[in-house]
Amino acid sequence: MDLTPSAEQEAFLTATSDWCRDAMPIEAARARPANLWQQLEAMGLTGISAPEAQGGMGLEFGTEALVFAELGRHLAPIALISTAVVRHSTDHAAKAGLTLAGAGAVRLLDARDAGIALGVRDGRVATFDVPAGLTWGVAIDQTVPLARVAPSPDGSDISAPRAALHLQLLAAAFALGAADLARDMAADYAKVREQFDRPIGWFQAIKHICADMAVRCAVARSQLYYAACALDAGTGDAAFHVAAAKRLADRAALDNGRANIQVHGGIGMTDEAYAHLPLKRAHLLGFIAPVSSSDLLTPELEPA
Amino acid sequence: MEIGFSSEERQFREQCRDWLHANVPAERRPMDAIDAIDFDKAWQRTLFDAGWAGINWPVDYGGRGLSIVQQVIWLEEYARAHAPWIGANFVGVNHGGPTLIANATDEQKAYHLPRILKGEAIWCQGFSEPGAGSDLAGIRTTGRVEGDELVVNGSKIWTSFAHVADWQELVIRTEPGSSRHKGLSWVICDMHSPGITIRPIRKISGQTEFAQVFYDDVRIPLANVVGGLGNGWRVSMSTLGFERGTGFIADQVKNAIEVEELIGRARANGMIRDDRIADDLAQMRAEVAALRAMTYRNISEVIRTGQPGPESSVIRLFTSELGQRIERMAVTLMGEAMIDFAYGDDDAVADYLRGFAATIAGGTAQIQRDIIGERLLGLPKSR
Repeated sequence: MDLTPSAEQEAFLTATSDWCRDAMPIEAARARPANLWQQLEAMGLTGISAPEAQGGMGLEFGTEALVFAELGRHLAPIALISTAVVRHSTDHAAKAGLTLAGAGAVRLLDARDAGIALGVRDGRVATFDVPAGLTWGVAIDQTVPLARVAPSPDGSDISAPRAALHLQLLAAAFALGAADLARDMAADYAKVREQFDRPIGWFQAIKHICADMAVRCAVARSQLYYAACALDAGTGDAAFHVAAAKRLADRAALDNGRANIQVHGGIGMTDEAYAHLPLKRAHLLGFIAPVSSSDLLTPELEPA
Repeated sequence: MEIGFSSEERQFREQCRDWLHANVPAERRPMDAIDAIDFDKAWQRTLFDAGWAGINWPVDYGGRGLSIVQQVIWLEEYARAHAPWIGANFVGVNHGGPTLIANATDEQKAYHLPRILKGEAIWCQGFSEPGAGSDLAGIRTTGRVEGDELVVNGSKIWTSFAHVADWQELVIRTEPGSSRHKGLSWVICDMHSPGITIRPIRKISGQTEFAQVFYDDVRIPLANVVGGLGNGWRVSMSTLGFERGTGFIADQVKNAIEVEELIGRARANGMIRDDRIADDLAQMRAEVAALRAMTYRNISEVIRTGQPGPESSVIRLFTSELGQRIERMAVTLMGEAMIDFAYGDDDAVADYLRGFAATIAGGTAQIQRDIIGERLLGLPKSR
């Protein structure tokens, strides 16, 4: 039992973090460079858990989840999640967008330049062809290109049994990243913004909001690590642990996203500041591989 | 990162489980401290005789010298077996003992540690004062050096098990005129010394588990100072981080078991059909899983670096508030039956009421938030 990242994982994480800071600054989240996807591919970040025979790194879900939390903290392209699942479980080696089936329409997320998109249908994970000639706008999360299409015909099911959990795990990692980002933005701002002749982080009213943000992140991060290890080990309760990780990360992302705006005060309400970005990302992720109460209540668990 | 246990550890878990299955007492632990004292001492002795006390304590002082992971496994199996709370032995086993291991002289360790493990000596904690609860540096009880003795005057409060204790980990101001963290000393106080008066305090749940203690010219040999005169703050802090990280494992497993029981009860009485209750229970199930993961992370950190990570305060805060929400859910599921409680012995209502202590004792939830804000996030110190 060891739930701290290994030296290799730490090194991978540091390299990712350094690269993200340069390649994906938050200030440029709404207008990413056109060749960002190619850069992500060149870094190997689109195939961390994909088999080496497929051009991937063949690493375990644990490492991928760690790195995805870091990518999520920089509001990385949402299609990284779907592409990782597709590359792990099929022989499709290129970018895959995401589909969200809703009432009357299917939403295609970040599927530009992608031949296929990944979605969940009746609890099964499937890929769908992306129609040509779509009109792209942006989602509430302004980093995500969005197109709406009519309910799609048949897709092809992914037979890998863990694909749905893989998708949920990586969405959880991205949500944790959004929660981390909101916490850091709030804490950094509380250190420099002064009111009543003091940094506002001096006041317990602000300090305790920030502390609660840190608690939510620590809780969600711990469960993410455990869930990733359970998925790697193929334990019988892996589905529960992944669902728990997604639920806690979603809650952390939403609650921290809201708290971050409050800590920023008036400026937090503006479009020009960035406090709304992690909140909007949190709302979007809440619809990707969502967790219901019965997902958490139904499985029989042995306590401890 | 991996969540598996070695074959040796799995074997150890089987041994714990088998012994507990055969030896956990069938009768309930009495709820009041006075009534429970004989039970607590006998159970601790039983644990010691079978080799389950002090699993990661040094062999020289009666422990087993095993790993922290084995200690964790034992605590998990202990809670899972519904073994009784160690009650009056809590301070000695979880706080006083570890503090002595880290800071005491060989003589102090040789005398006290085996007595703690055998259940022969009950310890209590003398930190909080009427004017200084969470503000530990605000201590005013004094110890005047006179020859080779300290003469102690003042008062301590919220002292759990004071009225049944033999020894006390007592923090006092030994340098006249000193303030805050400076000039404090951590001493071993004999609770049977002349000049000590104990006034038990009844809790909102009806039990008298804690007390106020008055010191009127109480004489304590200088040989009972641990870690040197004036080093009380450092000695007091030395075990708090560890305590915050692993001192709550039993609570954590108890919480997990309780959430399972609450889900079963909500199904049985139909309240699970209330979406809000179902959602709260689902959230709690996810949170108790996360708490275990967080504790494992903290223990991994101890194994890797020798000390718990800075997130110990997060564990402390999260455990206490999660526990309170679970206790509140238990009385919610009882419905109006909870009003039948009249200082009676309904466990759910008593746990709910005395559970309010969890976010007050050992530094309030607000103090924990200050620590998290300042040490984890680097926000400016407001005290």
